[in-house]
Amino acid sequence: MKIPRLSRRTMLRGVGTAVGLPLLEAMLPTRSVLGAGPSDQPVRMLFMMVPNGIHMPTWTPSTEGPKFELPQTLASLEKHRAHLSVFTGLTLDGARDHGDGPGDHARSGASFLTGAHPRKTDGADIKNGVSIDQVAAQAIGHKTRFGSLELGLEGSAQSGNCDSGYSCAYSSNLAWRNDSSPLAKEMDPSAVFERLFGTPDKVSEGKNHQSRAGKRKSILDYALEDANQLKRRLGVADQRKLDEYLYAVRDVENRLLKTDKLQIGENGIPNYSRPAGVPREWAEHCRLMMDMIALAIRTDASRVLTFMMANEGSNRGYPEIGAPESHHELSHHGKSAEKQSKLQKINTFHIQHLAYLAEQLAMVPEGNGTLLDNCMIIYGSGISDGDRHNHDDLPILMLGNAGGRIKKPGHWRFPNNTPLCNLYLWMLHQVGVKADRFGDSSDLLKFG
Amino acid sequence: MNRAKQNADSLMWLLTGRRRRVPPLGFGLLVGVGLWSLLAIGARVCASDWGTRDKEFSEQILPVLTKSCFGCHAGAEADGGLSLVYFKDARGVFRERSIWEKVAQRVELGDMPPAEADPLSVADRKRIVEWIRTTLNDIDCGKTPNPGSVTLRRLNRFEYRNTIKDLFQIDYEPATGFPGDDVGYGFDNIGDVLTLPPLLMEKYVRAAEEISERVIKAPDPGPVFESPRKIQQLRADSGGKAEGNRFVFFSNGKIQFEEQAPWTGRYTLDVGMAGSAAAGQYPKVVVTVDGKKAGEVTVETESPDKAKGFEIPLRLRTGKRSIELAFVNDKYIEAKGGKSAQDTNLYIYDMKLRGQKPSEPTAEGGLPASHRELVRDAVPSATRSPRDAATEVLRKVASRAYRRLVTEEELRRLTDIVVATMDEGESYESGLQVAIAAVLVSPNFLFKIEEAEEKRGQEFPLLSEFELATRLSYFLWSSTPDKELLSAAAKKQLRDPVVLRRQMERMIRDERARDFVRNFAGQWLTLRKLETVVPNENMFPTWNEEIRDLARTETYLFFLNVMRENMNVMRLLDADFTFLNEKLARFYGVPGVEGDRFRKVSLKGQKRMGLLTHASILAVTSNPTRTSPVKRGKWILDNILGTPPPPAPAGVPELEKGELVGTLRQQLEQHRANPACASCHKLMDPMGLALENYNAVGLWRTQDRGSDIDASGELPSGEKVRNPGDLIRVLRDNKSERFLRTLTEKLMVYGIGRGLEYYDRCAIDKILLRASQQDNRFQDLMYEIIMSDPFQRKGLREEL
Repeated sequence: MKIPRLSRRTMLRGVGTAVGLPLLEAMLPTRSVLGAGPSDQPVRMLFMMVPNGIHMPTWTPSTEGPKFELPQTLASLEKHRAHLSVFTGLTLDGARDHGDGPGDHARSGASFLTGAHPRKTDGADIKNGVSIDQVAAQAIGHKTRFGSLELGLEGSAQSGNCDSGYSCAYSSNLAWRNDSSPLAKEMDPSAVFERLFGTPDKVSEGKNHQSRAGKRKSILDYALEDANQLKRRLGVADQRKLDEYLYAVRDVENRLLKTDKLQIGENGIPNYSRPAGVPREWAEHCRLMMDMIALAIRTDASRVLTFMMANEGSNRGYPEIGAPESHHELSHHGKSAEKQSKLQKINTFHIQHLAYLAEQLAMVPEGNGTLLDNCMIIYGSGISDGDRHNHDDLPILMLGNAGGRIKKPGHWRFPNNTPLCNLYLWMLHQVGVKADRFGDSSDLLKFG
Repeated sequence: MNRAKQNADSLMWLLTGRRRRVPPLGFGLLVGVGLWSLLAIGARVCASDWGTRDKEFSEQILPVLTKSCFGCHAGAEADGGLSLVYFKDARGVFRERSIWEKVAQRVELGDMPPAEADPLSVADRKRIVEWIRTTLNDIDCGKTPNPGSVTLRRLNRFEYRNTIKDLFQIDYEPATGFPGDDVGYGFDNIGDVLTLPPLLMEKYVRAAEEISERVIKAPDPGPVFESPRKIQQLRADSGGKAEGNRFVFFSNGKIQFEEQAPWTGRYTLDVGMAGSAAAGQYPKVVVTVDGKKAGEVTVETESPDKAKGFEIPLRLRTGKRSIELAFVNDKYIEAKGGKSAQDTNLYIYDMKLRGQKPSEPTAEGGLPASHRELVRDAVPSATRSPRDAATEVLRKVASRAYRRLVTEEELRRLTDIVVATMDEGESYESGLQVAIAAVLVSPNFLFKIEEAEEKRGQEFPLLSEFELATRLSYFLWSSTPDKELLSAAAKKQLRDPVVLRRQMERMIRDERARDFVRNFAGQWLTLRKLETVVPNENMFPTWNEEIRDLARTETYLFFLNVMRENMNVMRLLDADFTFLNEKLARFYGVPGVEGDRFRKVSLKGQKRMGLLTHASILAVTSNPTRTSPVKRGKWILDNILGTPPPPAPAGVPELEKGELVGTLRQQLEQHRANPACASCHKLMDPMGLALENYNAVGLWRTQDRGSDIDASGELPSGEKVRNPGDLIRVLRDNKSERFLRTLTEKLMVYGIGRGLEYYDRCAIDKILLRASQQDNRFQDLMYEIIMSDPFQRKGLREEL
């Protein structure tokens, strides 16, 4: 029965028993590449944000070009220099106050991937822009099981308005499906694993039964019918809420049914044990999330990911590296050398986790190179100096060479006030979205 | 009028200083005018009287704006993107209230116009600010004010878990892993910000499946029978033979084989086949069992190499059965005129007979309580159809879950699911499971539905009784209405004030009221943030996670007690009792409390009174290594007085050791020497400093780093305080109006799930007035809130 003559379809038909091992080989995009130039492997986008700005003196390289001197904070990326581009001089104009007064943290979080200027409100009428990951997901998301994945290490804040009259929605979400719908992120590594690979006890369930997918379809069909009926009986504002519901149900319908059809079991994932939940230690939590990101990318679960190291304005302390004070408070260093040194420790600590992720991706061969080659990992903050709250001269770097489309990784300096969105626009083009503009972009960024 | 105004002003401690403070939240602005009009309802200029206002605008306001503002705030290139020139009349100002609130705030604070611009005279400054405020707040409570409109509220994760618990007696813990609910206006039950991202929907679906499988127990599936056939061993009477990995029929013929069926029931013959066509005619396969035709399929595939799976359902009796698979429509067209030959051929790649034994019903004792309660004897039988039985079960489930009576149409669709599931060969119970899961992802369950209704005449429409029951129960229990509440709603008794009052009192006595405390007080007093507070272990060795949790419990029990005993809410500030157990008492240094159980403890002889002296609140307003008088002062302004200070301007350094010297108090004084900082810190610091006798985890102290604590100071409203007790007494005696209003506003926001608007002022005034006639007792305040129009009626989102 299990002779490879079976077409893939026939194999999936007998699901319960047939799957298991061949999965990785079969599902991993490991086709070999012929010829040089940009690889024909899919290019993945990952956007990682750190809050509260960066201690810039030890971030910005002192020299420019491909052979730039690696600054202290970025030291742990030494091994990945061939994949490292640092951009200096980029600006997030949407995060500036434009007459709205304080609230730079919320604004920079909201603006980081949208380039928009969020409306100042802590309730009813949140308004931002569509984020770059969602623009990409709308174009290429259908190719993978998850159009996009939103991840982070903190949930949404639990009380109060989050920053000077700005809703917590702004400071705790990067991904915005439209200008009023942020996409919540998942912070529990075990839940991410479950979304990617299913629950352990259900993998083999359903043999000779109506499939779970069939039941789910009945459930969701019923819900859709309810929502459509209900819509007629509600006011305008409520109908918008219901539209959000309808969107979510349809999205889930696609996703859950696809997952079930694929029957991806965790057996297919070599040497990785299912995470147990959210670890107490921050570093362990972060490392697990990096593992999840790497797993998601290597199994091609999604090609568009976002990740928040912490919510913007985060008050977390890092006692394990000698910086027990609140990160946000430290970022208002007032030029204190002690505070700046602690800030730099935090920045370095974060970068070490980025280096860990890069390592995971660099270990996986793909095409003629590795997965890392085919990534575009943006890492940075929407605030430059946390004390000044300025949104120009932003700390932004990219890891990965966009499948060979970045010929010369290096440190590139741009005239101040060059929109960060110019870089995003360039990235959209690399995944085949030939947009004319994104956010406040003025041009395609040229570098390398 | 004058006396009324004086009264109001004397209560407005914030208005007595040189400057008034303007909180960012629009509603907080209503401080002065609010009380004033409370005492003079209907005696004001009507909102419709725009003529006078327009005249004032063009004669008094516009000239000042032109002189001092339009230099920068005009045209497309206006500073900060704020152009003021297009405002032509008072009504325009009223419509754009958020802009003008900001204008009033900046002008009042004195940072607009900026130093380099033409200075604004004190009189002009005052005139502008007052005119804007009066215009924005001009609302007539005499007419029927808009009760406001609440955006459809999704259950938040606490409510979801509680609701499941109350519906099915099942604690669904993964609900705590749902993505965090966004917070608006200080609470996480606000319709406008409770979004439903696909990530959450996915969790709802999984939760619904898991929960329904715990609610109803389906019989364990019976054993599985599987009998694969080896292709190479198949034999045909004619027309075909095994070739490599497949069996090929090139002309009509049949394969016959025998199977030993282990039980009587449904089986499936699972065959992987491909076909080629002649003149569009694909091979037809007929399956027979013991000579009787059981099924027929046409094998149409892309090519002979691409097999498809075909499933032929069979019914077999126990014992040896003869099964035949026949290819019956061979066709061949010879090559002619350059066209190649066409042949209808059949290719078989794999074949398997499989079946599952019908399951045995589960014994009564093995069923969960929810199953027994819901299903009882509603099971299909010879005389009762599955649809009929399922209708009985699902009517109960859906009506409870939807918090109203389920409609017949909804029931029909739900029972359709049961029938369809059974048609797939599954048990009745599995069918119920799928239908219950459908109920649990329905928007009727996940949202607190309030249907739209047209306003008829003057009155805004009332909520339906079921909708009112739902508001009540999520307000007081963070959970679904129980049977008693629903049946009162069904009998249309809830609008009877006596019944409503009795229901409210019953609910407050109920265990579930603890969740009101946890969710309301937890957020109002910012105690949920306690989780993230980690005092430095070396400096505060007696504090740990256990003490933290006990300290929070203390505050919750205290709050619950004030509510249940229906005390005057001012006791929250000045109570001479609290709740402790032995561990927590030892932490505080209070003697004579033994055991783990919390009990009411008198604070006589202790240096503590009321909430502000609870370790939970003192810790949540401190930094990891020291107290923060600024945070404590701000906390009081935010949560007790409802007058949050404006946020610190960007680029102002925090307290800096290198630059500032001396005790914390002296450092704060140096900080205030900077005029940019003084305006706000004058408000926060004295109150925070008055609490300096409590360290960063709330323990009493008389010294800090070798210096004696000096807790004295003068509040901006002029009162002198020497210690924490003085501060608390000032808050109680001189600022009770502020506190009552703040608490009422917070309760209202939490209770109805939306931010307050200017038109809510009338309702709040009325609630405060009525509650004050009842000595401001907690339950009377709650009752007035529940009876108020914003709680009872459906209004409009915005009314001008």
